[in-house]
Amino acid sequence: MKSDNAFVSIQNVTKKYNDLYALHNVSLDIKEGEVFGYIGPNGAGKTTTMKILVGLISDFQGKVRIGDYKMPAQKDEIHKLLGYLPQNVAFQEWRTIKDSLKIFGKLSGLDDQEIEKRIPDVLDLLDLTEVCNKKISKLSGGMTQKVGLAQALLHDPKLLILDEPLNGLDPLSRQKFKEIVKKLSKKGTTILFSSHILSDVQDVADVIGILNHGKLVQFGSLNQLKQGLSIPKTIEVLLSTPSDKWQELGKIKGTHTIEQTAPDKIILTLQSETDPDEAINSVGKAIVDLGINIRGISLLSPSIDEIYLNYIQRGQAQ
Amino acid sequence: MNLFNLYRDELKGFFKSKIMAFLWVGLPVLVIVFHFLQSTSTDPEVPFTLLSALMVSSLGGTLSAIMLSVSIINERSRHVYELFLIRPVKRYEIILAKFLAVYSCVAVAALIAVSFGIVSDWVTTGAVSQVVLSDAGESLAISLSMIAVSCSAGVFIGLVAPSIIVGAILVIYGGNSLSVIPLIPNMLDIANAAVFTIGLSCIVTIMLLAVAVMSFNRKQF
Repeated sequence: MKSDNAFVSIQNVTKKYNDLYALHNVSLDIKEGEVFGYIGPNGAGKTTTMKILVGLISDFQGKVRIGDYKMPAQKDEIHKLLGYLPQNVAFQEWRTIKDSLKIFGKLSGLDDQEIEKRIPDVLDLLDLTEVCNKKISKLSGGMTQKVGLAQALLHDPKLLILDEPLNGLDPLSRQKFKEIVKKLSKKGTTILFSSHILSDVQDVADVIGILNHGKLVQFGSLNQLKQGLSIPKTIEVLLSTPSDKWQELGKIKGTHTIEQTAPDKIILTLQSETDPDEAINSVGKAIVDLGINIRGISLLSPSIDEIYLNYIQRGQAQ
Repeated sequence: MNLFNLYRDELKGFFKSKIMAFLWVGLPVLVIVFHFLQSTSTDPEVPFTLLSALMVSSLGGTLSAIMLSVSIINERSRHVYELFLIRPVKRYEIILAKFLAVYSCVAVAALIAVSFGIVSDWVTTGAVSQVVLSDAGESLAISLSMIAVSCSAGVFIGLVAPSIIVGAILVIYGGNSLSVIPLIPNMLDIANAAVFTIGLSCIVTIMLLAVAVMSFNRKQF
């Protein structure tokens, strides 16, 4: 989990609230330009990690470095680099969207010319141009979330920390968000975000961290996470015409169980030591030999939900 | 620079609030109403300038302290400050900007009300005497001193009170009591009381703001 070219480095970070560990010896590194998806159940410590990174919590144990700066000692320097969207974003309600962005732009160090240029850009990017003179108090939850994103993107930060950025967004806005994240990542922006919508994490994250009870239970790319799983591998066979001979497939070497989940669907679960490629070949051969007509045969890959649940349940069992 | 930006921004916010509208327009109107009531009363000898100054400092001071504490408690509980604190902004700048913005607004209200008092006294007596002007200056000094203490108490209470209702109660009882401190030199009838009043209010205000900033600096979000 430790690399020399990390842009964000968290080493052995522990944070306690009274006797309760919010984070317990968490270490992770995120490279420059990487998109890091942070997942875990409620209360796992995701928000605490993010608040430590942005300097809202400074009484923690361990080391945190962003770029060349240490948190919390060089907080001011780090604050120039980052954009942050809190989980429950809130603004002073008397302002309009534009007013809010103006003051945040100024406080982030943008001059008047840059502010005049950047505000229309982010408003346009998030489809807020038409409502930019609307008061914050009149905005819906989803719209407020978009303004939160706008203020985080306004000063073109090198590091974006987004706590549940997809909360309250409609499917179209979620899609747009994912496009923005991908575009920013290509440009070299490092992004750390948490979400409960696992498919969205899967879509945009290069690296995923699973946090449970304050401990980082797994960290790596989606493929790396799959490799470390104890989920049995399965082969799906789709029949084009119903056949009684499918039970014969269960006799193939390396097969653990076989079941018909639908009239035209057979699922073979493999033994843990079985090579899935070899098993597919064997199944294909057997199908031809048995004269079963099929529409397709495929190795089922565990979904991100299965991966997540597996790691979380494994962590709870420990 | 950030302090100036925040101050200007807060000023804009408070300027738009209904309480400020009351302080700037309502108080002078109340002063006029009092003027007419006083002219029909049996004791018209109290200088009207002093009356308007006392009215501003008690009403204006209390209102601005409540406004400050409620605004801070509300923004604190909704986590509004998080977006400020993740930028290169010092915590004391946020607090000071709020205090200065409200104090400026109330100071303008005090000036307007005392000016009304002077005009009223001038209309009543036919001329603005040196005594009236001197009284006006002293009244203004007392007003601004009491308002400074009220506002700083409002900031302090806003940062420590757990809820809006508790904050409002603390301001009404505690804040008001504290704002009487600058009146002590006048009560003791010492020479140059106005100077001591200003000095005392500066000390109390700075102390309250310092404790408020320390409490805000220690806060983890």
